[in-house]
Amino acid sequence: MRLLDSLRFRIATLFRRSQMSAEMEEELRAHIQYRADDLERSGLSREEAERRARIEFGGHVRYKEECREAAGGVFFDSLLRDVRFGVRVLRKSPAFTFAAIVTLALGIGANAAFFSVVRSVLLSPLVNREEDRLIYIQQKAPGNQVDNATFSIPEITDISRNLKTFEALGTFSTTDFTAQGFGETREIHAGVVDGGYFEVMGLKPVLGRLLDARDDGPNAPGAVVLTYKFWATGLGADPNVIGRVIRLGSMMQVRSATIVGVLEPAIAYPAETEIIANIVTSPHHLSATMVQGREHRMTDLFGRLAPGVTLKSARAELRTVYGGMTTAHPDVYKPQYHFQIDARRLRDQINVEASTILWVLFGASGLLFVIACSNVANLMLARTVRREAELSVRSALGASNAAIRRSLLAESLVLCASGGLAGVLVAIPMVGVLARYALRYTVRAGDLTVDFSLLWMGLALALAAAFFLAFVPRLPSADSSRGLGLTSGSNRFTGSSRRRIRVFTVIQIAASFLLLASAGVLFRTLLSLQKAQPGFETGHVLMANLPLLSDGRTPQQVAQFYQEAQRNVSELPGVEGAATCMFAPWRDGRFLTFALQFSVEGRERESSKEDLRARFRFVSPGYFATLGIPLIEGRDFTEADRGGAEFVVVVSKSIADRLFPGQNALNRHIMWTDPLIKYADISPEPRRIVGVLADIDDANIIPQPNLTIYTPFAQGPIFGANLVVRTKSDPYALVPTITKTIRAAAATQPVEGTSTLQDVRMEVLANNRINALVFGGFAVLALTISIVGVAGVLAFGVSWRTREFGIRLALGAQPMRILAGVLIDGVTITAIGVVAGGLVGWGLSRLAGNYVPELKLPEPLLLIASAAVIFGAAAIASLLPAARAARVDAVQALRAE
Amino acid sequence: MADQAQLLPGTLDLLILRAVSLGPLHGYGILLRIGQISGNALLIEQGALYPGLFRLVRQGLLKASWGTSENNRRAKFYELTAAGRKRLREETANWNRLATAIGSALASQPEEV
Repeated sequence: MRLLDSLRFRIATLFRRSQMSAEMEEELRAHIQYRADDLERSGLSREEAERRARIEFGGHVRYKEECREAAGGVFFDSLLRDVRFGVRVLRKSPAFTFAAIVTLALGIGANAAFFSVVRSVLLSPLVNREEDRLIYIQQKAPGNQVDNATFSIPEITDISRNLKTFEALGTFSTTDFTAQGFGETREIHAGVVDGGYFEVMGLKPVLGRLLDARDDGPNAPGAVVLTYKFWATGLGADPNVIGRVIRLGSMMQVRSATIVGVLEPAIAYPAETEIIANIVTSPHHLSATMVQGREHRMTDLFGRLAPGVTLKSARAELRTVYGGMTTAHPDVYKPQYHFQIDARRLRDQINVEASTILWVLFGASGLLFVIACSNVANLMLARTVRREAELSVRSALGASNAAIRRSLLAESLVLCASGGLAGVLVAIPMVGVLARYALRYTVRAGDLTVDFSLLWMGLALALAAAFFLAFVPRLPSADSSRGLGLTSGSNRFTGSSRRRIRVFTVIQIAASFLLLASAGVLFRTLLSLQKAQPGFETGHVLMANLPLLSDGRTPQQVAQFYQEAQRNVSELPGVEGAATCMFAPWRDGRFLTFALQFSVEGRERESSKEDLRARFRFVSPGYFATLGIPLIEGRDFTEADRGGAEFVVVVSKSIADRLFPGQNALNRHIMWTDPLIKYADISPEPRRIVGVLADIDDANIIPQPNLTIYTPFAQGPIFGANLVVRTKSDPYALVPTITKTIRAAAATQPVEGTSTLQDVRMEVLANNRINALVFGGFAVLALTISIVGVAGVLAFGVSWRTREFGIRLALGAQPMRILAGVLIDGVTITAIGVVAGGLVGWGLSRLAGNYVPELKLPEPLLLIASAAVIFGAAAIASLLPAARAARVDAVQALRAE
Repeated sequence: MADQAQLLPGTLDLLILRAVSLGPLHGYGILLRIGQISGNALLIEQGALYPGLFRLVRQGLLKASWGTSENNRRAKFYELTAAGRKRLREETANWNRLATAIGSALASQPEEV
């Protein structure tokens, strides 16, 4: 507190200085006048009286100066002078200055950039009105491996009835329409919302109006709102778009809808869409499946807390209501699935993935800052030791400790301000890179811009570093200023400075070790992901999405079209084979891991207890061959396995092994029993097993054991298709030909997301790769700085001990022993640092483990490898100074003092 | 003036506080008041008064404000703050203890030891 007061006083006096100076002058002059008046009254002439008064007063200028100092206004004056002096001093040692500024710039820049990102992504509020009342409600079934189950309409009806802690609930679900009216007929991503959604979200239109109560229900006219991004980029921000009627096709039906408004720029969650439509535009949303299917979950639920209600009480009420619902339907909410409800602020929900990653990276950049400061502190210490003579002289000439401290502060201010400035310059482009990186985890990073917080953070870090650095060197004590310090030139306070340098080096090594070990963990993960073999061909297989167009064709026509497209493409030159499937490996996230209940004929009694679930895949004949998955038994699907023919399936080897151990799986029958199949139009009839396929996993990068059932694509249902094409040479060269071939069969058919499976896989791995790279970058930077630190410390130690080495050499010591001594010194410092880093890391991971349960401790081998890297680098860094120590010329060394 | 005593270091502040405690004064007035209450026995260089005044203001022991003096000159008047009054009491007590101790030490006779 006192420090703050005094600082405030000093700043106030700084601004009041000219006024104070004038007042001071007036006061002193008045004194002389009073005295002259008195003297005049005693009989002197006015002139003589004033002369005498001035003499009696004494040194006017000196007292004024003393007054100013006494009043405290002098601090910043002197500091300015010191800063000018500091600039001159620093300019004389450009190498030191450069090294210090670059190190600080890296440390400050990284932190300023990360802070900027953390601030705008994690800390700043959303644009929604009173966003702290905005809640995302979530249903989970951990017993069924479902993290976010979303809700079905009957569930929402049950939950929202009589809810008191919420002002209102809003629903949002996504669907794809075939849209006519935005140029070419195309597939458009849409949100479908109820009439209360926008009110709950607290969003405003930039044009027209948003959807409200009048757009709700099955009888309202079709209405859509455009999202800002789609309007601005897709439609050129056309102001005349309001009132335009568009046609939206889905579920083989076409509805028309009027564009009523444009939404303000806002974070899109759970999904970014191009339009947001009312329920009536989507036949599916009006169907019995949607309205009555308790397990047909596809709706995200948002709530606005009633005024004054806490999240905690809202959660409690939700759990009570939800508990009532689950007990009323025990057949749906089976105890083994552990159905539960949760609510959190929308802001937190959006950042759920990003917050851990960003805080961890922010922590890493904090470590880098510590390393940078320690390194500059080392440089400063070593320099102060060399400047001992200068400081001693200044001290001997009467400079107070405070004055010397002030001049050191001025120097470090100059250093850190330059470092901070350079850091901010480095940070500005970094924010852009980081934002793109953070976008992988949170949609909020999309509208991130560079703001003043960056500058403030840079400034604050620079100031913190400056004060820290100014107080690092020890000042000459009164003794040394009077004693030997002046004459013998060194060695007076080097003892304690050396100790401090070692401490800072240990800190650096410890921090580097932490960063290196964490980077190691991430690289290790990346490596194991990249090494994993998917079990099918990826390099020469091209994948293209052919979304289903709802343009009045019958399902038979659609099936025919896909078959025709596949046949035509497979006949192209350079194509080895083509097939269609419903889900794209790795790409169609949630569907790929989704498993449905099934049972085996003749095993009903057992299977009712064991809850058999399998992934479901719809594939055309030739799919297995195209991807190179070996059939172990039986046959592939054929053109004859079409709608209306006998239902057949191919099962994965894991199913055959588990359900028919030691028996022949072929010709046995299985059937889907999951209650969900009726919503997906999947028949529960028995299906004959005609083939057994090798196990693969097309959902995870590292193959996991799974049960999969393949059904013929033509036996439906068809929600869309992906074309897989195996080529002889470069797959991408064939893309134009393939597109042309498909368009020849259906002129308006979109062909999207063409990419080889290998690249799809790389895209999925990109997060891991970038994480590893970012951390690796940090680690390399940290390691570089620390190694320079170790080398610096040892070099400093060697020059300090030149005389000792000289004497030892003169007395016949082996140069090798001296060399080894210095090396051991370096390795010892490193060992202490590594141990310290290990302990701190262990503590941190214990601490972080409370918040991030999936946190893994690095395996010992990795720790040893990281330590080895650091030791190796330290040993190399020690070699140079050690070699110099061993080459010391005894005569010169003795003469040097 | 030759028989005036040199001030001990640190005692000027005490004298200023004491002089101001008798009523608000401007700088020259303080000087005159010190002369008056000490019987003109102390040598104070006039200019040296002001750094002391500024220091005491900064420490919050005195409060300064501009006003008009008895002969219609603008002048800066000093008065004690509550902290100043407290400090004056403490310092007076300290001084008295010190003076008594040193006085009795100097007055001691060989036979008393």
